[in-house]
Amino acid sequence: MKLMIEQGQVWLYNRIVQMKHSVQIYPHLLWIVCTKMWLFLGMTFSLGILIPGKLCSDLQYDGDQVLHIVPETFQQVQHLQHLCSTLMLDLWKPQQLEDIRAGEDLHIRVPAPLVQEVKDSLDQHMISYKVLINDVQELVDESVLKERSQRQVPESYNYTEYHPMEEIYEWMTQIEKSSELVTQHYLGNTVENRTIYYLQISQPSNKPKKIIWMDCGIHAREWIAPAFCQWFVKEILQNYESDATIRRFLQNLDLYVLPVINVDGYIYSWEAERLWRKNRAPYMNGTCYGTDLNRNFNSSWGSVGVSFNCTSEVFCGSGPESEPETRAVVQLIEQKKSDILCYLTVHSYGQYILTPYGSTTTPPSNNEELMQVAEKAAAALMGKYGTSYKVGSTSLILYSNSGSSRDWAHMIGIPFSYTFELRDNGTYGFVLPPDQIQPTCEETMLAVTTIIDYVDQKYFPGGAVMLTSGSLSLSLCLSVVFTWIAS
Amino acid sequence: IFEKDSTVNCTAEVLYHLGNKNAAPDVQFTIEGELKNTDEADNLFYNRIKSLKNELVAENIPDSYGNVPPEMEPIRALAWAASGYVIWKNSNENTKYQLAQIKHVKQVKRSDEYLEFDYMILLHENVSQEIIPWQMTVLWHPQHGIEVTQNSRQPKHV
Repeated sequence: MKLMIEQGQVWLYNRIVQMKHSVQIYPHLLWIVCTKMWLFLGMTFSLGILIPGKLCSDLQYDGDQVLHIVPETFQQVQHLQHLCSTLMLDLWKPQQLEDIRAGEDLHIRVPAPLVQEVKDSLDQHMISYKVLINDVQELVDESVLKERSQRQVPESYNYTEYHPMEEIYEWMTQIEKSSELVTQHYLGNTVENRTIYYLQISQPSNKPKKIIWMDCGIHAREWIAPAFCQWFVKEILQNYESDATIRRFLQNLDLYVLPVINVDGYIYSWEAERLWRKNRAPYMNGTCYGTDLNRNFNSSWGSVGVSFNCTSEVFCGSGPESEPETRAVVQLIEQKKSDILCYLTVHSYGQYILTPYGSTTTPPSNNEELMQVAEKAAAALMGKYGTSYKVGSTSLILYSNSGSSRDWAHMIGIPFSYTFELRDNGTYGFVLPPDQIQPTCEETMLAVTTIIDYVDQKYFPGGAVMLTSGSLSLSLCLSVVFTWIAS
Repeated sequence: IFEKDSTVNCTAEVLYHLGNKNAAPDVQFTIEGELKNTDEADNLFYNRIKSLKNELVAENIPDSYGNVPPEMEPIRALAWAASGYVIWKNSNENTKYQLAQIKHVKQVKRSDEYLEFDYMILLHENVSQEIIPWQMTVLWHPQHGIEVTQNSRQPKHV
């Protein structure tokens, strides 16, 4: 037992002395305190039980100090040993009284009520000391806070501000740790060899699931889009138990969320040019950069609404899927296309829900249904803050463009394919103020869940209703049987 | 037209010239109701700038994060109005321009009662998706209104 305490002490001591902020000392400190208390009680009652956690958590270190002493003489060593054993001071270094030596570091934790007495005694014996830790409780509190914030990402990550790529990478790692529903997956690499990740939200079950795909940030400057993807994930994870709609569709659908496709472009828009749109592929011997990823897909590639000149913002690349970012998305979606029911791609600005196609005005086969669902989504969105979204095919209400990811998704057979263009209408455009992040995300959430809910009800009809009627008839049967037996 | 506490409806008839593609479209508009009186705010801003010891200089309005410091709001509003003129002059059936950002603004001291600002703005063209730098010189006086005395499209820097 003593050995375990000592090891724990050493561990704790090392951490605190390093004074690093990533210290997670609380559980260990707690454990040490518990066992020490046990020892103390054990001396009187010889109990072999561990003290329950609740008691331990009431123990405080307010005002406790850790003193650093280097004894100079043997007499000083003896006095210190005497002091430590009489007052039962907490030896941090060395671990045992008998190892205190002249010329070597001595660290002792002195409980608050004894601090003055100890200092007086040291002064009396001309033993100089330094205060290593002024208040042990402060350090404990700090580390608890850090530990909590690392564990509960949904609460401490600020979803109402824009985050640079490094923070989004970190967020993905943390969100995966924070929930058993989320897993992070490798999608591919960018031109500049950065990693593209997506998150999979999946309710564990035996049932085979269908897939809803949502990507954000194809265009670097559209910062509100990645902000929405992150918000979406957070909302799902926070509400999947309490929200009936989410709970229902998570039984049948897995959500694949790609927070930032165009990682290089996004970083470039933070570091160099805020209004950058394309990826960072070098062309013409590095004299010109960037392909418009949303003109690079194999959907009537290069036919309309594009430029073959790299200097253009709608440069469609050297060929369909010429860009690694495009290929990364394509290979995953191709692989899973038989299970993907819905492809959503999020952009800004303009306030639109756009249906296929951009490359032609010929409507898609399921146009009526697509429009109907989009109208429903726009209505739900408007219900929140009155924001008005226009609904229609890109080629009819916006402009012609070929090679878009949304067109491609629909062409390979994904029935519900939509492009979202979020706030605003041009007042701030791409540079949407952060105080609009929350309302934009809240209203867009309603639109997206309307679509997912519709898809869920369409492909997995009546599940809940059948369950109720089934159990109802069962209970009716049983009650009849029991009545019959009782009579 | 969007004002802080109210929305005023404005209907406009826009005619694009079929023959002369370079001519600005013909615009006839009607405002339903009345625009808010901004005399007080205008005069406050006017006096503030007039009393500056050094010429006003600013960059990136809004900044990358979408923030506009409150004292820069009138500068932005002025740019918004002036860019409307520039946009009108350069619009055709295949363009849709918006003011994306003020890259740089510098006040030019004048001996008369007007305020003069030299702006470098970025226009976003929605069809080509281009970001076009544009220089414009703006004159303003609370009672005499706004005038764009000079404007020119700038080359996109590589």
